[in-house]
Amino acid sequence: MNNRADVVIVGAGAIGCSAAYYLAKQKINVIVLEGSDNIGNGGSSRNGGGVRQSGRDPRELPIAMYGIKHIWPNLKEELGMDVEYYQQGNLRLGKSEANLKVLEGLTSRAVACGLDVRMISGKEAREICPYLSDVVMGASWCPTDGHANPLLTTLAFYRKARQLGARFITGEKVKEIRKIKGQARQVVTENNVYEGDKIIIAAGMDSRAILNTVGIDVPMSPVLLETLVTEAVEPMFYQMLGTADADFYGHQSTHGSFVFGITSGFEPFAKAGEPVSSSHAVSLASTGILSYFPVLENLKVVRSWAGWIDDCADHVPVISTVEEVPGLVVACGFSGHGFGISPAAGMLVSELAAGTETTVDISALGYHRFRR
Amino acid sequence: MIRDRSKDIGEYRPASDDDMLICRCEEVTKGEIRRAIHDGMYTLTEIRRYLRVGMGLCQGQTCTRLVKAIIASELGTSPAETKPATARAPMRPVEMKVMAKDTGGSKDE
Amino acid sequence: MKRYDLIVIGAGPAGLSAAIEAGQQGLKVIVFDENAKPGGQLFKQIHKFFGSKEHKAKIRGFRIGEELLKAAAEAGVEVVLNAVVIGLYLEKEITVRMDEKVYHYKADTIIIATGATENMIAFEGWTLPGVIGAGAAQTMMNLHGVMPGQRIFMLGSGNVGLVVSYQLLQAGCEVAAICDAAPRIGGYGVHAAKVARYGVPFYTRHSIIKAEGTDRVTGVTIGEVGPNWKFVPGTEKHFDVDTICLAVGLSPMSQLAQMAGCAMEDNPKKAGLVPTIDEYGETSVPGIFAAGDVSGIEEASAAMIEGRIAGAAAAYRLGYITLESLEEKTAAMKKALSSLRRGMFAPENRGKRIEKTEEGCDISINLLEKGYVAADEITRYPGVTAKKGIHPVVECTQNIPCNPCQDVCPKQCIKIGEDITALPRVEEFVECTGCGLCVAACPGQAIFLVNSGETPGSAYVTLPYEFLPIPKAGDKGYACDRSGHAVCETEVVTVKSISAYDKTNLVTIKVPVELADAARAYRREVKA
Repeated sequence: MNNRADVVIVGAGAIGCSAAYYLAKQKINVIVLEGSDNIGNGGSSRNGGGVRQSGRDPRELPIAMYGIKHIWPNLKEELGMDVEYYQQGNLRLGKSEANLKVLEGLTSRAVACGLDVRMISGKEAREICPYLSDVVMGASWCPTDGHANPLLTTLAFYRKARQLGARFITGEKVKEIRKIKGQARQVVTENNVYEGDKIIIAAGMDSRAILNTVGIDVPMSPVLLETLVTEAVEPMFYQMLGTADADFYGHQSTHGSFVFGITSGFEPFAKAGEPVSSSHAVSLASTGILSYFPVLENLKVVRSWAGWIDDCADHVPVISTVEEVPGLVVACGFSGHGFGISPAAGMLVSELAAGTETTVDISALGYHRFRR
Repeated sequence: MIRDRSKDIGEYRPASDDDMLICRCEEVTKGEIRRAIHDGMYTLTEIRRYLRVGMGLCQGQTCTRLVKAIIASELGTSPAETKPATARAPMRPVEMKVMAKDTGGSKDE
Repeated sequence: MKRYDLIVIGAGPAGLSAAIEAGQQGLKVIVFDENAKPGGQLFKQIHKFFGSKEHKAKIRGFRIGEELLKAAAEAGVEVVLNAVVIGLYLEKEITVRMDEKVYHYKADTIIIATGATENMIAFEGWTLPGVIGAGAAQTMMNLHGVMPGQRIFMLGSGNVGLVVSYQLLQAGCEVAAICDAAPRIGGYGVHAAKVARYGVPFYTRHSIIKAEGTDRVTGVTIGEVGPNWKFVPGTEKHFDVDTICLAVGLSPMSQLAQMAGCAMEDNPKKAGLVPTIDEYGETSVPGIFAAGDVSGIEEASAAMIEGRIAGAAAAYRLGYITLESLEEKTAAMKKALSSLRRGMFAPENRGKRIEKTEEGCDISINLLEKGYVAADEITRYPGVTAKKGIHPVVECTQNIPCNPCQDVCPKQCIKIGEDITALPRVEEFVECTGCGLCVAACPGQAIFLVNSGETPGSAYVTLPYEFLPIPKAGDKGYACDRSGHAVCETEVVTVKSISAYDKTNLVTIKVPVELADAARAYRREVKA
């Protein structure tokens, strides 16, 4: 088979699959190389599914807002598959005065960026989500936030891109990017060499080593991310939840199970290699969750899992071309909040690769910010 | 293993046993699994993520072998070629209230 | 957090054996098991085990379980029940669910002995109530005293399917038939013969097309499996049954090993996904071992030896025994293990078509296809002789690692020799006293005493009998041949039940002399 394409994408996660879709939709020839055996094997299948604007850094907020306004509501029709998107608001819960101060700070910053988010009382929070316990003193409330199923979203982009002719190859570990006559052109794997006019690196934490082969370094470090899922129960509520204490976040899925992200406090210190769940994480999360939602006490945890967050030095991603390496497009360092913006980010990446003007101004996310 | 997802595995053709349940916990049928494979879900892990097969209370104890056989038959490979899904704690479903009663230590300490 | 020298996960034959071996060497050992009772599957194994003395042959499984528990207590092993190990983490830490709480424990070595789980197979109606695993049926009968159903259909003719079918008969159920998609019966011929002589038909090359019924099973339709594993139209057969048992193999329950980061292999010879282990059972993670079915499906006798080897290796790793001592200890165990893995049913022979015994006798085709050796085939085997006077007839026709018959015979009338898989041979010139020890000892119930010299025109056949009610002298009934057909009416002459027989009753029936070589079962009633 021909190993040449207009664009070669390294990484078949949420970003890579969505970029592949937007390129294929414009009849641009794409090859997507995935190092693992599975599509969406990194952070794309290991996150809480939040589709949030609230709590975001002003530099990436415009992407989140664009996606929620223009992409997420139509994604089901566009991809021909239900990705379980719900826009029923985000509650960030506080149970102490200190918590409320944190929430107020986040809220005023988001309002300054034009986002509809406000502080509400504990009583108002319980009116929105009647299952909350009395410990909730207040919350920030962003009614236009929501959540979606990250596994299905990633696979839906993959499925549609594949139908449109994008070629996906799994089990292809990329060793190196090679410049040919000054342009990034070749992607070298253990067994093959692929060639593209443009090369997109969207390989999560692995991006760093791959980019290093062309002398580019995005300062980021792996942070462990842990998630748990429960058995399915009758639908209870569809808000996305977070807390000021950051002890858990999550939502109930269409299927009825709850997906909760866990915080143990030791995330940045996890051992290198395969991400491994820690022995206390589910217990800690359960304690946290039950303090807000005692009603969930009999819900059974069926599974927990771990992944790596590619945490960028300034906690926002690099979505950028690189002046020194023409032909290269970088999309990494999403720092644990990439899923909600992945459809829009994929679209922007496809625009960078196609050489068209980006729909959203992403100059603040350029690689050059580390070159000052 | 290198796998080209554009490999031609032929059209999905309905079969008489398509409505047979394979995953009892999540109520997924053979036909849904076959269609998922034709939609590009070539691995056990992808099928689990796509359809929730084997993600219910028994965590795939019952159906994994059956799903592997279906994958092998649709893709024309051997079941042993299909990699297992990752094992995840807890090995048995545990109520959150039990999980929350974890002091981090052993019994009688 | 408490730290042990060794944590064993699973209190079945492998786990308990490992704990005993390590405990005896002085290790501080704790065993966790999720069940309310220890012993794993041993306590539902009411049949006598195969093998030799060192494999605890001719002892019933549940008694082996009792012995192991006693030995574990003597070795100072802590056995904790109702304790579900829910996670195995780095640094050999486990989380355990006990009395509605979660606890953490660590150890310097861990032996995973979590056993196996029953396989299922999908066919139309397989999710109907009444379709159950054969192991589940065994649990209902032998642990809880509940009959799984009245009339049962068994899918699968491996040892599990055969043994459970026999136990179903013992429990008073009717077994409508046993089928297997393979062209030949998968389990030991002697196990098949045990059910065939009580009239259970075998359908090889057949599988279930559908389970019938709306709310629960009311019947089953099977059909012949042709080339490409497709059913041959027109070969459908229907049975009215209320229960369908599936005995289609076991899969190693190896998730904890996978979770601990052990290198894994999907190995059909080991029946599924198993951790790769060395000769001591150690996985790729130093200090984590696997023993028993979790490292490859075998008999409980193999699991016990694997457990002991892993236990000894853990003791060596932690400095409780020297390398020399480890090697010395395990040399005999490894030898015992390899003797178990020999013969026609050895793991390496799985799927192979074997035509002749080691002695060069043709394998009985009837046995492989119908479950019994035909009258004209049985005389080929060295255990079957036409001696005068009372003598054993050993209808053991396949090379399996088993020799209690040789061990128990006080007169050395039955010989197997050094090679444990050799067919037993009845010595021409050695006198048989008719003690019956061999009849009761044979785990395959393949030995009969035949005496055709005493009364003109009549012969006495002594059979192993394990059904209730136990017949009494003078009872009238039918003598059946190997295929389960009644060949004549008969009378029970004597019934012997001594403690050395361990609950196998020896029933002697009187038959016409020409039926001495045919009558192999006694039944009070037969269906018209």
